[in-house]
Amino acid sequence: ACLGLADIKIWVLTGDKLETAMNIGYSCNMLRDDMNEVFVISGHTLLEVQQQLRSAKEHILGLSRVSSAGDVEKTDMFAEDSVFEETIIAEYALVINGHSLAHALEPQLEHTLLDLACLCKTVICCRVTPMQKAQVVELVKRHKRAVTLAIGDGANDVSMIKTAHIGVGISGQEGMQAALASDYSFAQFRYLQRLLLVHGRWSYFRMCNFLCYFFYKNFAFTLVHFWYGFFCGFSAQTVYDQWFITLFNIVYTSLPVLAMGLFDQDVNDQNSLRYPSLYKPGQQNLLFNKRQFFMCTLQGMGTSFLLFFIPYGAFSVTVKEDGSNFSDQQAFAVTIATSLVIVASVQIGLETHYWTAVNHLFIWGSLTVYFAILFAMQSNGMFGIFPSNFPFIGTARNCLSEKSVWLVILLTTVVCVVPGLAVSFLRVDLFPTLTDKVRHLQQTTKRQGPQEQNLRRVRRTSSRRSAYAFSHQQGYGELITSGKNMRTSTVSSARSPQRTPHSSNWIENMLKRKNEVSCISV
Amino acid sequence: MMASSYNAKDEDGHITVSGPGGGTLRSKKPENTAFKQQRLPAWQPILTAGTVLPAFFIIGLIFIPIGIGLYVTSNNIKEFEIDYTGVDMSSPCFNCSQNFSWNSTRPCTCTIPFYLDQPYENNVFMYYGLSNFYQNHRRYVKSRDDSQLNGDLESLMKPSKECEPYAYHENKPIAPCGAIANSMFNGEPVSCCAHQTHSSFHLYLICLFTSLADTLELFYNDPNGTKIQIPMTATGIAWWTDKHVKFRNPTDNANLTAVFQGTTKPVNWRRPVYELDTDPQNNGFINEDFIVWMRTAALPTFRKLYRIIPKKNSMVPTLLRGNYTLEVVYNYPVRSFEGRKRMILSTISWMGGKNPFLGIAYITVGSVCFFLGVVLLIIHHKYGNRNNSADIAN
Repeated sequence: ACLGLADIKIWVLTGDKLETAMNIGYSCNMLRDDMNEVFVISGHTLLEVQQQLRSAKEHILGLSRVSSAGDVEKTDMFAEDSVFEETIIAEYALVINGHSLAHALEPQLEHTLLDLACLCKTVICCRVTPMQKAQVVELVKRHKRAVTLAIGDGANDVSMIKTAHIGVGISGQEGMQAALASDYSFAQFRYLQRLLLVHGRWSYFRMCNFLCYFFYKNFAFTLVHFWYGFFCGFSAQTVYDQWFITLFNIVYTSLPVLAMGLFDQDVNDQNSLRYPSLYKPGQQNLLFNKRQFFMCTLQGMGTSFLLFFIPYGAFSVTVKEDGSNFSDQQAFAVTIATSLVIVASVQIGLETHYWTAVNHLFIWGSLTVYFAILFAMQSNGMFGIFPSNFPFIGTARNCLSEKSVWLVILLTTVVCVVPGLAVSFLRVDLFPTLTDKVRHLQQTTKRQGPQEQNLRRVRRTSSRRSAYAFSHQQGYGELITSGKNMRTSTVSSARSPQRTPHSSNWIENMLKRKNEVSCISV
Repeated sequence: MMASSYNAKDEDGHITVSGPGGGTLRSKKPENTAFKQQRLPAWQPILTAGTVLPAFFIIGLIFIPIGIGLYVTSNNIKEFEIDYTGVDMSSPCFNCSQNFSWNSTRPCTCTIPFYLDQPYENNVFMYYGLSNFYQNHRRYVKSRDDSQLNGDLESLMKPSKECEPYAYHENKPIAPCGAIANSMFNGEPVSCCAHQTHSSFHLYLICLFTSLADTLELFYNDPNGTKIQIPMTATGIAWWTDKHVKFRNPTDNANLTAVFQGTTKPVNWRRPVYELDTDPQNNGFINEDFIVWMRTAALPTFRKLYRIIPKKNSMVPTLLRGNYTLEVVYNYPVRSFEGRKRMILSTISWMGGKNPFLGIAYITVGSVCFFLGVVLLIIHHKYGNRNNSADIAN
């Protein structure tokens, strides 16, 4: 249910019988008594299946208040799927068994199946072979603009895990095959929630911030040469020292970004789990798209413009305190380089939301290292060893001991940073997103002191189902009753109705039997 | 009865493997340290009105006084500038700029009178300024040999390839080599011969960078008619690190003629480098005019320090109010590339020369910040407070 709030669609693909799968669905609260309709597709021939699918679809679409824009059979309707899904208020579920699925996955019917499946809140496929599991995943991958995740714990889930965009294997109970074939593996199904809502979200957030900042920093660094071209006869004379160009991206600005990419959190983990709809910006690609990239680039260009023209204005007639001239290439270079490093550091400081000790170390450390290397490279010693490679001898000392230079650097920093700050402040103040609100809440609760946080336990009243699985084969009854592959704490729910306070426990217990429960998230 | 090889999985997913020997516990669970579980203690700032708005106001309140201080200081600096290129027909140097020919050996002098309406106290600095002279062109900037200028004997005889085509002349190495040295402004007047044997790009370089070689002298016209020459010092105009570390003569300064045996002077110079000045501390590579010229300017319009007029004593201003004459030994004109030449007299303050840009910029930025703070405050007051956590959909 948590994942459902995060707009993640869950499909169950299992090798169980229909009745068992439906029981599992009811106990997980995926199928509910108050659903409008549960469609069961169990045709044996292609025509039967087709007819069942079509009638189910018409049932849904006929009852919903959708102004149909066209024929529902059209295949180019996929882009409007989300429209249809949103306007369907009633809840439907689809249960399809493996035999029918084999027919439904044929090329003529697969679109119908997909349409119908996406119109339903829950999809359960039972009696599914491993090959079909992979086929279903691939169907979704091919036709929907969605990211698929497959999670399973047995060897028969390996094909599905490999087909999906993200494969998650549960290690342990049924061996290590699923875990070895997967991108992520952990020990229990319930960790999936944490994987997605906490780590997945953080990862997306960090990656987008990192990318944005990286482009900004490099545009600010490089476009200064573009502006300088107008004043040096377009002769490709570099503004900076050669060594600065080499070391800028490696030493001076690499570690703070790395720290931000590793440690930054916008919302802490408890709140990430508590508010699953924080996951939505990741799904909708809100944090780094063309528009964001364009804004980053624009900011970088603007910064480079200011970085060049403010020192240009100051340096055109400037002299040192003792009168000797000062408007030379090397002092200009050192001034602009220092301004750039300081602006980049201040900018990353403003973009870091979570300042750990490592962040502090990297940001202040990079600045210190910059000044240390600057003075070291422009010292007498280095010049003495390699005269031709260090022509900037003495510049740092002469340049950075002038008050006017520091005033220029301060002015440049403030002018570069203030517009971005004003815009972000306005955005947070006037149009706060859910993330901003949760962060605000976090801060106020922290200020009020650590209190007892009572997590509201949502008591889900699972419907009391008496689940009797009727098997036409002998089944594994003897094996189960002998207790050979069962732990004493396990309760086999096929025997008697059970009411568990915590449904995740229930699922674990279900897993200990020979069922495989596989989920696809959309 | 459980099978002995059964992997038990307890509640929190801790997988234990019990081997045949029994008792070896190998855990695959990741360590529960703060670092690995991303629970490091951290400071989590957020942008609230309480932090951002005071920051804007503080920036405004700091910058405006700084700006005013800079502007007032800049206004108190006295500066005087004369353009002596000779563009107008009425300018004294017009004839000199027109009558240039490459092969003339007789230097052209022109005299420009001017009037200082304020006395100049303390040290007064005389600069020469050039416009439209691209000392920051890449080919030009690279055309030097720092090892040679540092006094390395090997580089003296074998200048680096960067100096081409100004490295060798008549099979002898040029000392100092390179286009920057070749185009020195403030040497002795020289006749320029055009070397037209190179490619067109080199021709452009030569025409652009040939020696200008002006000499400037200042005279004060007394009220009773006598012309007094104003004493100017030619030392103390370069950076200390340049003069003492970067530029060195190949050996000590005593007998430079012998040391530079086997090299030749740059093509456009009249005198060789070891005859730039009679003072041995200002001769050879460590000649301060040479050092000042070699420090290439960043922008096409620049000024470089030429001479310092030292103050006499604290009672008398260094330059009195009155009539002055500037005598220019004019050489190759800059008119062919639309350049301009200027002479600037200026006093100095703690922030350098007269530069109103910085003062005005600070005042502008300070007021904009302050105004922005006010605007944001109004907006926040009227439309803000939407960060109410009560309306978070749980």
